[in-house]
Amino acid sequence: MTIRAHALTKRFPGPRGSEGRTAVDGIDFTVLPGRVTGFLGPNGAGKSTTMRMVLGLDAPTSGTVSVNGHRYADSPAPLREIGALLEAGALHPGRSARDHLRWLAASNGIPHTRVGEVLELVGLDAVAGQRVGRFSLGMGQRLGIAAALLGDPPVVVLDEPVNGLDPEGIRWVRGLARRLADEGRTVFVSSHLMSEMALMADHLLVIGRGRILADCSVPAFMAEHAASYVRVKAPSLDDLGRLLQRQGADVVREGSGSAAELRVTGLSAPEVGEAAARDGRVLHELTLVSASLEDAFMTLTADAVEYHAQTELEGATR
Amino acid sequence: MTATLAPEQTHADGVPDLPRVGFGAALHAEWIKLRTVRSTGWTLAAFVLLGAGLTVLICALNAEWLASGDADESPGSFITWGMLLAPVCAVVLGALVVTSEYATGMVRSTFAAVPRRGTVMAAKAVLVTGLLLVVGTVTALLGYLGGNWFLDREGIGMALEGDVLRAIVGSGLYVAGIGLLTAAVGFVVRHTAGTISLVLAVLLVVGNMVMLVPGTVGEWLEKLMPGNAGGAIASPVPFNPNLLDAWNGFGVFALEVAAVCLLAWTTVRRRDA
Repeated sequence: MTIRAHALTKRFPGPRGSEGRTAVDGIDFTVLPGRVTGFLGPNGAGKSTTMRMVLGLDAPTSGTVSVNGHRYADSPAPLREIGALLEAGALHPGRSARDHLRWLAASNGIPHTRVGEVLELVGLDAVAGQRVGRFSLGMGQRLGIAAALLGDPPVVVLDEPVNGLDPEGIRWVRGLARRLADEGRTVFVSSHLMSEMALMADHLLVIGRGRILADCSVPAFMAEHAASYVRVKAPSLDDLGRLLQRQGADVVREGSGSAAELRVTGLSAPEVGEAAARDGRVLHELTLVSASLEDAFMTLTADAVEYHAQTELEGATR
Repeated sequence: MTATLAPEQTHADGVPDLPRVGFGAALHAEWIKLRTVRSTGWTLAAFVLLGAGLTVLICALNAEWLASGDADESPGSFITWGMLLAPVCAVVLGALVVTSEYATGMVRSTFAAVPRRGTVMAAKAVLVTGLLLVVGTVTALLGYLGGNWFLDREGIGMALEGDVLRAIVGSGLYVAGIGLLTAAVGFVVRHTAGTISLVLAVLLVVGNMVMLVPGTVGEWLEKLMPGNAGGAIASPVPFNPNLLDAWNGFGVFALEVAAVCLLAWTTVRRRDA
């Protein structure tokens, strides 16, 4: 019950004559059962395109992707094999939630009684008869998740499931993903929010500009990419910097005027403090700054972001 | 989850041992979709109102004149008159069944549920064609019953046989073809307004404008335009003597519809959803 991609590539043709855009660039990955695999990357990195290829909606330019060892389209009853939450809006606004699930069930020979079960499961049973055009974004997401679970599938694919959900809804999705994985299912969840993935996923697949940047467990990702440093402020920064370098530290001077600071790696905060004390120096600040998972993600994907915000802006919001 | 995961039986090639769902399931799903949006009811109501209502009205207004010696037209031209306009509703229905899915993005849910796109297209085609065949024939029959009541009062009623019967069944066949043609165009164009405009333009505008092309070329273009070729079967007496006769015309129309369906299939089969 795995999803397996091999040299999967998708190139979109550009406007006449131009080169076009490679959305997914020869990626290999395997999504295994019994755990939540987070598919993480900035907007435009190729997540949705990859998921559409898994579901046979987009045809790969080259390479292959299989589910349980066969092409999606060869499944005898696809909804009973893979349930998918597609991008929000794959619904007709004039149809009720129950009717939407009814046609889906009919298309795959899923018993009618299952419709009521999944409506209850996602908490939409009270509004099942309402037209989905009146639903909030969050209710639409819940309906999409109900559709994904309709066929009780061993593989569940969720594209940006927490989009538009309130905090209670986000917690619910997190719990649901966990439970599905604990039942032995293959759970493949995409998000552009690192913090969300850190809470939900067991395993990470990081994608940027159509390439896989990391394929590892969450703790391994942290250890490798979430670097920390010691921030030091002092009256004479340059002298202190040279002193610390002599102790074997890597020192970078950042900022100017009253905001000037040293960023020290290679020495712990106590070691920096002791070194300064031995030399009789005054320190104004000595802080261990641990990079968040978000920072690690930003560092890793910095070169792989399709659309950069201005760096000044980024600094201002820190 | 309410149910725990049952151990999957799989074949050696990895395809799980589930009962394969096919055309019947896809047709059932499309039938649920069609019944559960309001536009279907509105469009069919407008269809019956135009197709039967206008025929009755026009027969009621003209019965006396038709029975008089001044009439230069046959009552047969009037008995399916509303079916000249009802195809507009068939165009709307045929378009909505397909293009509303593209407009809302629901087509991705559809192709994910039934990945064999030909099956989806065939299910929609069978549904639109079958529904319009029944509704079209019944509507033409209602128009005949209502209209003929007024004609009978003037002593010029027509029996339900021969060309009259053919025109009533033919009305159903023609609007079924129009619905199928529009659905196929919808799969290629993917926009509701674009699809409806394009089909109506070909049926109503271009079909008449080709008469302006001089010579034999113009004559044949006029005969072969889908609205002109297919429409003749829906009237007991020909409106335009230059056109093909009812069944030959319908044969040409059917081939044209089939060609557009083939184009739609080859387009949708390889296109990203």
